[in-house]
Amino acid sequence: MKSQLLFLCFQIGLFVIPGRIDAQYTFFKPTGSFAIETSLENTDELRMPMYRNAMHSLAVSGDFILGGTMAEKGLTPLLFTISLSGRKLTTIQELEEVVPGQLSISTGFSPMGKGNLFYAGTMPQPGSMGGGHIIQVHVDGQGKIQVKDIGVPVAGEGIFAMTLNPQRNEVYGIAYPSGRFFTYQLKTGKSELFNETVPSQKDTATFHSFALKPDDYLCRALVVDNQGRVYGSKAINKLFRFDPVTKKITVLKDELPFVWGREVMGRIDAWVKMPDGTIYGSNAADGQLFRLNTAKQTVVNLGKPIMMPRLMCMAPGKNGMLYGVAGAAPGYAHLFSYHPEKGFRDLGNPEFKMVAPGIEQGIAWRGFQISSMAASPDGKYIVMGENEALSQLLVFPAEDLP
Amino acid sequence: MKVLFLLYLSFSNEFLSIKFQRMQVARFFTLLLVQVIGLYAYAFQDTSIKKAVSEKNIRFIPYPGFADAHSTWGSIGYNPATNNIYVGVTNHADNVGFYEYDPARDQMQLHGFIKDLGFLRPFQWQGKIHSKIVVGPKGEMYFSTDGGESREEYLMNHPHGYAGGFFMKWNPIEKRLTNLGMGMQYESIKDLEVDTATGLIYAVSYPQVHFLVYDPAKNQLHDAGRLGSSHVPRVLFTDRWGNCYYVDWRQRLVKYEKSTRKLVFAKQSLPAFPGTPGNSIVTGITAYAKDPTKNVIYLVTYGAKLVAFYPQENGIGRWEDLGGVFEMAKGQEWKPYVPNLNVGLNGKLYYLIGGHGNYVRKDKTVLVEFDPQERRHNVLYEFPIGVLTEATGSDIRDSEGNLYFAGRLRPNRTEYGSVPFLVKFNPQKEVK
Repeated sequence: MKSQLLFLCFQIGLFVIPGRIDAQYTFFKPTGSFAIETSLENTDELRMPMYRNAMHSLAVSGDFILGGTMAEKGLTPLLFTISLSGRKLTTIQELEEVVPGQLSISTGFSPMGKGNLFYAGTMPQPGSMGGGHIIQVHVDGQGKIQVKDIGVPVAGEGIFAMTLNPQRNEVYGIAYPSGRFFTYQLKTGKSELFNETVPSQKDTATFHSFALKPDDYLCRALVVDNQGRVYGSKAINKLFRFDPVTKKITVLKDELPFVWGREVMGRIDAWVKMPDGTIYGSNAADGQLFRLNTAKQTVVNLGKPIMMPRLMCMAPGKNGMLYGVAGAAPGYAHLFSYHPEKGFRDLGNPEFKMVAPGIEQGIAWRGFQISSMAASPDGKYIVMGENEALSQLLVFPAEDLP
Repeated sequence: MKVLFLLYLSFSNEFLSIKFQRMQVARFFTLLLVQVIGLYAYAFQDTSIKKAVSEKNIRFIPYPGFADAHSTWGSIGYNPATNNIYVGVTNHADNVGFYEYDPARDQMQLHGFIKDLGFLRPFQWQGKIHSKIVVGPKGEMYFSTDGGESREEYLMNHPHGYAGGFFMKWNPIEKRLTNLGMGMQYESIKDLEVDTATGLIYAVSYPQVHFLVYDPAKNQLHDAGRLGSSHVPRVLFTDRWGNCYYVDWRQRLVKYEKSTRKLVFAKQSLPAFPGTPGNSIVTGITAYAKDPTKNVIYLVTYGAKLVAFYPQENGIGRWEDLGGVFEMAKGQEWKPYVPNLNVGLNGKLYYLIGGHGNYVRKDKTVLVEFDPQERRHNVLYEFPIGVLTEATGSDIRDSEGNLYFAGRLRPNRTEYGSVPFLVKFNPQKEVK
């Protein structure tokens, strides 16, 4: 009796000690979200092999997600399609079979209108004498990929950033490593180069003192406004505009939003054009989001969604909502949303359920490094591609907010 | 013995001499009260357990000189060159004591604290040693440091963010710690292994699950990339050729093959019980023990499977499913939590089941003997969780056949008030 009483005291003691509130954070895992296993070594399943699957370019065409990867040095990149409804990888296409000697497809895919034809640019293997190619990618109704080599717009240089104006059949890009802006006529195959975006000798000296290389300071993305003007960034912390009618490059008065003392690292990380034509951009240096007023040619600094640098990718959601991924190595991704009336939400790490043969019970897949993002044409889904040694795809339904 | 040990901990002058904040004092006395009541109650319990080994086979050895010692994780290792045991003990916030136990002299010595031994600044705080403490080519001991999960992730990339984790090397002759630098920026190192022939260090980072290979002779760090899912598998192990093993998110073995310097992935997953949840699968292996006489490495999985793995120099090798760690009801087989494993001189496996709120007998941690030949379990001893809550440690056996676990008790089930101690156990004779 005595012992029972004392043991009861012990048990009660367990409850009277105030318990620590569990400090573990929650992850973003909305209903309807899922992850698709796309990369795996040594398997009979259709999967991309290790070190060749970092998803740097994504687009959605009907039921199919189209992806382009970056490989590690000495390995070659891939194109792939994923069925959204089937939640599985459907096709892997070796770029090497069409365009040999390439390292990555990192420019994103620019659609030719609303169809299933896309254009992208490639980066050659480091040290190779060959240049980057413009490729045309067609996705058919079964998710099969047809790749066509369009040509090399700048001899001996890679394509670091690229976009397309379908109305003009004209491609615009940033050459690597020079930083030259180029135009390419799809009908004639004619290129034109512009040196105004090349860092000056003084800029190069400044970059050197910050130990920055072209990969660190060149403009990562270009965007075309509704008037057909093209925007990008140049040294140091400047925005430029290219007018395809006058073929002139103009530097905007407003600079990229910056953190004092870090302007030298300022460059465009990503652009997104919303369905109403509004253009948002991001600064890689410190991860600021801004709105580009194309009528006034001014920049509105919207601030930073999180404390980390980088904002590598964005996609339009519903009702004016914008989704993006802020943060990257050596930190990691936070998914965020922005709405003009509601402001930012830091949604944190996405963690979605991955189900595949052999893991039928499902496992939680947490997205750490995410480098690409796209919205489905119907606006229902947002897809995100990882930037890992074994990268997977993350999908969530766009929210009916605000 | 255990009661005396706990009373020693509770009433030690060093403990009482610390100037706690008001809350800490209140917390201490509350915990003390619970401990005393609980142990007193335990002493009067009329247990009907038939003990296969007696208390004379088991000892709890305290860690002196660390008043707010809280816990040990995987942070235990054995040095065959000295026959000594090493343990990293943490306050689970920002202070880690480095201990060495000499079985011959029955002496537990605090060498100092990592922050001082490793010349760390206050902004380089380390939450714990989570890795094993493993021997290197010249008898030196290697380990790595960890930020302590939540605190690390909340603060990463912040001006006060986590600086680490670090690779560290202890020279047992000079009694000197060398800081070998960081792995990945802002990332803990959950576990490490060393190739005793070359000194090559293998490690895995937290939370991004990157497999790292570090050559201290050349100061070359190779990041082989992410291998895991949302929960980082905690255990690496090596074979006799110096190849290192880990698991991917499908609980498939991944081998760093020394001869080719490449990762080799097993095609099949390690065995798992039907119904094992995904979060158990992705966490892979929780402990291992090697029996070199049979060229076998025994593994225990987060899904409570025992596996006999037969490595080979090149390629993955084969494995054998030995069944579960405990007889459980159908559908519950995957539940027992076993973050420790040792093999005795008799070739049998010994492990403690329990911890993190997961027990096979109500509020009891059980010591189990498993005969790999007969595939039979035998519960040797039951500890109320107020005496021993959980234990970690892989393959820690001294020359006398004593087995060691890094144990701790948690008077309640939160992280508050945990008390760590070394568990010394010999299945065949009394321990000194």
